[in-house]
Amino acid sequence: MTDSAKPQLMDRPKTEAKHAASETSGAAFLAALDGTRSAATSAHDEALDRLPVPHRRVERWKYTPVAAWWKDVLSTEVHTVQAAGCAANPVPGLDAYRLVFVNGIFDALASDLPVHSGVVCMPLSQKGDAAVQPVDAFSPETTDWFAGVNGKYGQEGLYLRVAKGVTLDRPILVHHHTTGSGVFNALRHDIALEAHAQVTLVHWSTAASSADGSVNILTRAAVADGARLHIDKVQDEEGQVRHIAFEDIRQSSDSHAEVHTVTVRGQWVRNDLAFRINGSGAHAELNGAFLPGEGEFVDNHTTVDHRVAHCTSSENYKGILYGKSTGVFNGKVFVRPDAQQTNAYQQNANILASDKASINAKPELEIYADDVKCSHGCTVGQFDSDALFYARSRGVGLEAAKAMLVHAFIGDVLKGIKVAEVRLEVEHRLAEKHGWEVWSDYPNDDA
Amino acid sequence: MLKINELKASVEEASILKGLNLTINPGEVHAIMGPNGSGKSTLASVLAGREEYEIEGGSVAFDGEDLLELDATERARAGLFLAFQYPVEIPGVSNINFMRAAVNGKREHEGLEPIKGKDFLDMVKEKAKLVELDGRLRNRSVNEGFSGGEKKRNEIFQMAMLEPKLAILDETDSGLDIDALRIVSEGVNAMRSPERSFLVITHYQRLLDYIVPDFVHVLMDGRIVRSGGKELALELEEKGYDWIKEEIGA
Ligand SMILES: Nc1ncnc2c1ncn2[C@@H]1O[C@H](COP(=O)(O)OP(=O)(O)OP(=O)(O)O)[C@@H](O)[C@H]1O
Ligand SMILES: [Mg+2]
Repeated sequence: MTDSAKPQLMDRPKTEAKHAASETSGAAFLAALDGTRSAATSAHDEALDRLPVPHRRVERWKYTPVAAWWKDVLSTEVHTVQAAGCAANPVPGLDAYRLVFVNGIFDALASDLPVHSGVVCMPLSQKGDAAVQPVDAFSPETTDWFAGVNGKYGQEGLYLRVAKGVTLDRPILVHHHTTGSGVFNALRHDIALEAHAQVTLVHWSTAASSADGSVNILTRAAVADGARLHIDKVQDEEGQVRHIAFEDIRQSSDSHAEVHTVTVRGQWVRNDLAFRINGSGAHAELNGAFLPGEGEFVDNHTTVDHRVAHCTSSENYKGILYGKSTGVFNGKVFVRPDAQQTNAYQQNANILASDKASINAKPELEIYADDVKCSHGCTVGQFDSDALFYARSRGVGLEAAKAMLVHAFIGDVLKGIKVAEVRLEVEHRLAEKHGWEVWSDYPNDDA
Repeated sequence: MLKINELKASVEEASILKGLNLTINPGEVHAIMGPNGSGKSTLASVLAGREEYEIEGGSVAFDGEDLLELDATERARAGLFLAFQYPVEIPGVSNINFMRAAVNGKREHEGLEPIKGKDFLDMVKEKAKLVELDGRLRNRSVNEGFSGGEKKRNEIFQMAMLEPKLAILDETDSGLDIDALRIVSEGVNAMRSPERSFLVITHYQRLLDYIVPDFVHVLMDGRIVRSGGKELALELEEKGYDWIKEEIGA
């Protein structure tokens, strides 16, 4: 790490105090984990000891209740899609390489690894802990307790290396399925693209309707000069599943990295994305759509860290909150003193579709360079009653009219999903969840 | 077709319609004129089923049905159409998909299958020709960035697509240039038939030269205060509204 990359005050937690009751809950949780898995690494013990177990007075956890995490942790015997009774590929018609994990364990039979020159792709457990990228002061593992838990217990996931100039011919689908009761699943994906390499990943999470447990996924990706990484990430978990995900993306010069996150279903979801832009000419893009229904909670925390000059970032998150649901959006953009000529755009728009739904939305821009273009917008509103009446006055039903407005609202986010089959399936699943029969009749771009 | 009896309506505690009577028979064209703020658009909105308006009394029968019992969607499907004074922009929803939803809503009501893609496009072409709607506007978002005149043409295009029994045109002439006024009026006239009725709200006699009404009514302070033939519009054009105010002692 260079000198200028040293952590600065702006992205370091101030003094994060520990909270006695939370510490007790956290310790009991870890003890239970120790009881269910044999080979936990201890490399992250120190970081974990130092980090406070999240509680309401830690800024990043202010609106995010964690009490639901402190449930029993049991071990489960179900480790294959066959035993779980779920499809290996959740996306009809998707032509992709595939890594399938069930309850955090690699299901080799259900998987289809790429055999491609210049590409090393295998389950992390087969590669060994020594091969993964080192952790530094910015890594989630050293800054957030839940990520620290992943660092300690996450031994399985995707290991991917793409050599210089290589473009993988098909996307890689990483499918994780949760089933059973009291499960805790940790996955760690370790990705490095060499210069000018290109790859598209589809991260898709599912869970059985009877599932009860938690999922903790940490993705680290190094994107070298001129390389392109595209991640379509879909969370569609039924049951009582708590899902926390960290993306730690490091970009070099002229690289391009995109993450598109759609939360279709999820009892409790927290996404923590951080893009660190370390080389000039790089572009970061992060878009998201979340449509929680009755009783669901979705939290998107993002950080875009412009550390050098001449980079661009674009962020667009859309939320529609139904029933008694809760949403959180927190978007940090740092523009460091050296990051002149940065162009950073952030937009977060939310619709409260019910008067019992709520959202805490907060853009946080910290700009320390003077010659930059940064714009942001944050809105919370309701369905446009004029537009609804207009549509109904043409004979469109109320629910169909709302579906039409929903589609228009999140259409720009869905358009960013790179893999067409993924986009279609996301639309189907949203329609199914919300009962929009007519949804597929209104693709934005057909005419 | 339409029978309004002593209709009273208010919005946000302010009473706007104060006992309005109007009967429209099949095939008739009625014009409503009246000063700004007299309640013309309110009447149109109340008839179309806008829920912000509180009905405080009276009744409305449409084709023998109790109109006030139907919601906005049902009224449209029953054959009532409102061309808005201020058409609404819906970013992100293409005009064509919007109309397909509308047409299919009506077909569902009639127990028909959703319209086939090709039939729909043929229909769009035919109806767009009627008001010379620019082909490019069909694929753009509903009314978004349309000029004032384009929005009004789009309203009449939608009316032609939906073939209503009763069409209420709320100041469709405002914002139209001279040629567009003629084109849109011809489109409306082409749709006149013994079964279809029109309620045309306007401030100007000019429109009524093209769309010749059977009756002209004056709406003032929430009531129809005078009715007559098409010559009433000419009289209003010449003399304004003051003489009526004086006559009714308002
Ligand atoms: N949503 C509303 N809230 C408050 N007042 C309203 C609302 N809608 C209408 N009004 C009031 O009701 C009265 C009648 O309005 P309306 O739009 O019906 O008039 P109009 O006859 O169509 O006028 P114009 O010729 O200017 O179009 C006006 O005083 C207007 O301000
Ligand atoms: Mg008006």
